[in-house]
Amino acid sequence: MNRFSLVLIVLTLLLAPSLGSANPNGVGSGTFDAQCGGACHGDADMNRSTTATVVVNAPSVAYEGLLTSVSVTVSDIETTATGLLGFFLLSDLSGAGDTPADAGWTIVSNSEGGTENYVEAVIASGQTQHTVHWTLRAPSVGTATLHAAIHHGSEDGSEAPFFGATMTPATIEVVEVPEDLPRLAADFEPPVRRTVGESTTVVLSTEHVSDVSVEWRVSGGEMNTVSVASVADGSWSFTLPASLQPVQLEWRAHLEGDGPDQTTPWFQLQSEEPSWSVDETAAYVQSIAMLLVLMVAFLSLQRQSTTPVKEFEAFDHEEVA
Amino acid sequence: MVSAPTLHVVTTELAVGSFAMAGIGFLLAGLGSHGWFGMKRHLQLADHVAHFALAFGLLALPFAIMTGIQSSPGEGLDHPLLINKMLLGSSAFGLAFGVLLARRTHGKDIWASPGGRRWQALGGMSAVGMVLLTASLGGTFTRGESLLSWLPVSFDSVPLMPLWLSAGLIVAALANMGLMRRQDAA
Repeated sequence: MNRFSLVLIVLTLLLAPSLGSANPNGVGSGTFDAQCGGACHGDADMNRSTTATVVVNAPSVAYEGLLTSVSVTVSDIETTATGLLGFFLLSDLSGAGDTPADAGWTIVSNSEGGTENYVEAVIASGQTQHTVHWTLRAPSVGTATLHAAIHHGSEDGSEAPFFGATMTPATIEVVEVPEDLPRLAADFEPPVRRTVGESTTVVLSTEHVSDVSVEWRVSGGEMNTVSVASVADGSWSFTLPASLQPVQLEWRAHLEGDGPDQTTPWFQLQSEEPSWSVDETAAYVQSIAMLLVLMVAFLSLQRQSTTPVKEFEAFDHEEVA
Repeated sequence: MVSAPTLHVVTTELAVGSFAMAGIGFLLAGLGSHGWFGMKRHLQLADHVAHFALAFGLLALPFAIMTGIQSSPGEGLDHPLLINKMLLGSSAFGLAFGVLLARRTHGKDIWASPGGRRWQALGGMSAVGMVLLTASLGGTFTRGESLLSWLPVSFDSVPLMPLWLSAGLIVAALANMGLMRRQDAA
């Protein structure tokens, strides 16, 4: 093979892959800095500006250590080939150390059924607006800001990467919790996922609360109430009905006590089809069996096959020299 | 602190790069041992490169597997692709280890017999192919696409054997190995 042919083959192989910087099938939910620190869309410098508008909605005041709800709404969404749209909730846009956790926030849940600051939603063709909700535990007293950003590809199949962010961040004043404020206990963590067909019993831990009422809804549906039973002092129990298909159910609690009445943010509960399962022991044992069988089978094969031919020199030393 | 997904990328590239080099080495060694395309003079070089790259790939493989498990979303083996990836990976590991052991047992004479040279080259290339397919399944799992997506093979179902059959195969393999060692010692 002459050198020209070799160079031609190498050049063909180098030029064969399509040049794209986006990640057409997304990267899945995760905890990422802005633009995934450059890991999702190739190089951040290659991003184009999206025409979509990103707005983060948050209450102006939150209580230190208590739960609050934040939503990110993207409008004028550009249709993409896969429909994937990535949402970031961030504490700033520097691209490093800018997740909400870096600023002291704790993400309790998001409306996609996870606890990450980056989620991917599939946008139907023609849909122009989508909102993702996060429930967070507020950081220490002070002024906090929250930004939002989005990632997406293009519709023309060029895999061009697009990025957009909020023009102005949401500013939240985090204040101390009044002594007698009815509230959820600091260690309460709402369930975020469940299996289709199973009802969910939630045990609510509260402080300075004398009465609780809970209401729930399927996203976008009508409001329903559920009866709440007092289990113990500061502990309440209620059951959310089972769903028949994978849907998102939202619930919130009204807390009454000596202090001013409080309403918790909407908590999202995603129901999913039962996950695929397998007998893991059988899989592990079969894995070991296949390893040993193939190894021994090959050794046996070579043992049978290797009958040296005296006339054959394995290595042609003269030619090598 | 380096995250598990980042380490997985590093270790995977290390393992896959080594195996890819081993694959080319076995191809050239196979051609050289048969005296085809004037490659016979490169047999020694190709033989050494193939087996050393294969051994290095096998050393890197456990690190790729461990970081892969740590960076995998969800808990446990909850997807058919993951099970198939594990089965294919362990099969590749076994075959590659067999290829290396055969080379160690028979030395350079493994290229001297028609059967030996044929199976050594094919075994090495098959092991490499299986490892590359295993790595490709990782891309299918995380991104929904991979370099080998065009292959007409579906990994959505798992060919799982009963536990007793797997255990029986392990016993048979170990017995076979013991018999081979005994005959070699005699």
